Amino acid sequence: MAHVSIPKYWKALPQKYRLVAGKCSNCGELNFPPTTLCKKCGQENTQKHIELKGKGTVYTYTIIGRGGAPPEFAKMQKKCGPYAIAIVELEEGLKINVQLTDCDPFKDVNIGMKVSAVFRRIYEQENVIRYGLKFRPIIE
Amino acid sequence: MRRVGIIAAGESKFGARVGMEYEELFVEAFLEAMGQVDNLESKDIQEAFVGSLAFGGSQLGNMSALVVDSVNLIGIPASRVENACGSSGYALRYAIMSIASGINDIVIAGGVEKMQDISKATRLYWFGVAGDIKWERLSGMTFPGNYALMATRHMKEFGTKKEALSSVAVKNHDFASRNPKAQFQRKITLEQAMNAPIVAYPLNIYDCCPITDGASCVILCDLEIAKKYTDTPIEIVGFGAGTDHLALYQRESITRIDAAVKASKMAFKMANLQPKDIEVAEVHDCFTIAEILAYEDIGFCKKGDGGKMILDGETTIHGRIPVNTGGGLKAKGHPIGATGTAQIYEIFKQLRGEHENQVHDATIGLTHNVGGTGSACTVTILRRV
Ligand SMILES: [Zn+2]
Repeated sequence: MAHVSIPKYWKALPQKYRLVAGKCSNCGELNFPPTTLCKKCGQENTQKHIELKGKGTVYTYTIIGRGGAPPEFAKMQKKCGPYAIAIVELEEGLKINVQLTDCDPFKDVNIGMKVSAVFRRIYEQENVIRYGLKFRPIIE
Repeated sequence: MRRVGIIAAGESKFGARVGMEYEELFVEAFLEAMGQVDNLESKDIQEAFVGSLAFGGSQLGNMSALVVDSVNLIGIPASRVENACGSSGYALRYAIMSIASGINDIVIAGGVEKMQDISKATRLYWFGVAGDIKWERLSGMTFPGNYALMATRHMKEFGTKKEALSSVAVKNHDFASRNPKAQFQRKITLEQAMNAPIVAYPLNIYDCCPITDGASCVILCDLEIAKKYTDTPIEIVGFGAGTDHLALYQRESITRIDAAVKASKMAFKMANLQPKDIEVAEVHDCFTIAEILAYEDIGFCKKGDGGKMILDGETTIHGRIPVNTGGGLKAKGHPIGATGTAQIYEIFKQLRGEHENQVHDATIGLTHNVGGTGSACTVTILRRV
């Protein structure tokens, strides 16, 4: 399994639960996750934490075929079948990598589709259920 | 900077080498290389650079000692170089630098990987270790999945067709059908390649490289000293390298591998050559889309024209620039850490006129070796002296 230890997972909970990014007070760049050095201007400890809205559009996507999931997602895939993963371009302008849910990956997903974040169970490891965000289509 | 040449190159048989250990595979490659130079003795080799991901983790620490011991070189400085699928490309880089700087006269660079004889779950775990663990992996992302994201976007932006992706697989299987060391020595049809089961849409099983055991090893020498050993050394006239963000979503472009663009520019500048001067190339086709991106990133065609380039047959044996004449990662096989110097093996044979799929009178060749999903890359330009 992709070993993300419990302390490491905990440290990133603000990102995994609420999409907390670091806005650089020097150059305005959004760093996700927040970093010590700003990715754009290189300044140290200049980032103010803000919550991203969790809304955006699908920039590109793939559908993981049956049997191809990483071990920690094998159980979910056995139950639900192929699932879609997208790089989503958020309203704030930056991109993130997410799993899509509440949709038929082969019929519903396309580039440009509007999506929003939803809190979900991700997987279980070391006897702890890991929760985090997935994205689902916005029905207009 | 001293001029550096390759005087010999060896490679193990690629494939499912059941029961063979890392070091046994490396011995095969080493012995083939040593057999090409009559008057070179093991004691003349001064240092070893060994690329490996140590897939499966059975000898993750200090692998270089295991490897040099297997070829009776114990005592010399040796190190394992790790940059995922780009490991031995980087091992080669450090080997070249050690000679160019005057520190060494003769060294070996190579790589080894053992990917079979491992449970499926362990294998799936190891495929993910070179990606972004904290974020990409938590979305259920896989290694083919990342290249699939590039393919979907490339198709949208440039109208690249699935047929173009599948044509890469057909071409590379055709080359491999005449390579006795290839994992898949059989041709496939476009129809087969188009209609295989999905791995990560839009990539199917024929868009993906196989799981391979294998090793490769090249012997490098100061070009002046090389005359003592061979009349036909192959000079390394340019070598470049680059890196990029580990996670795909953080990169400036999803349809370009910037590490490859940087490595190519660096290598061409050093060689004082241009993409149009290259007569044969081995590029990193871990997935079919990766070969199309390579055409564009190296500069063999304009951005977005990679799909057209394969469909027009420009990279077949009769084309403008034949690519992956050994069968590529797709059909020859991809023993992760061994791939970079296994590409050098093919170009070395091409430039000496000894290849199964010989490009007529080729004098200048190029290799392009990518780590992970594009987080590291080396490009090397070779020339007949
Ligand atoms: Zn800044």
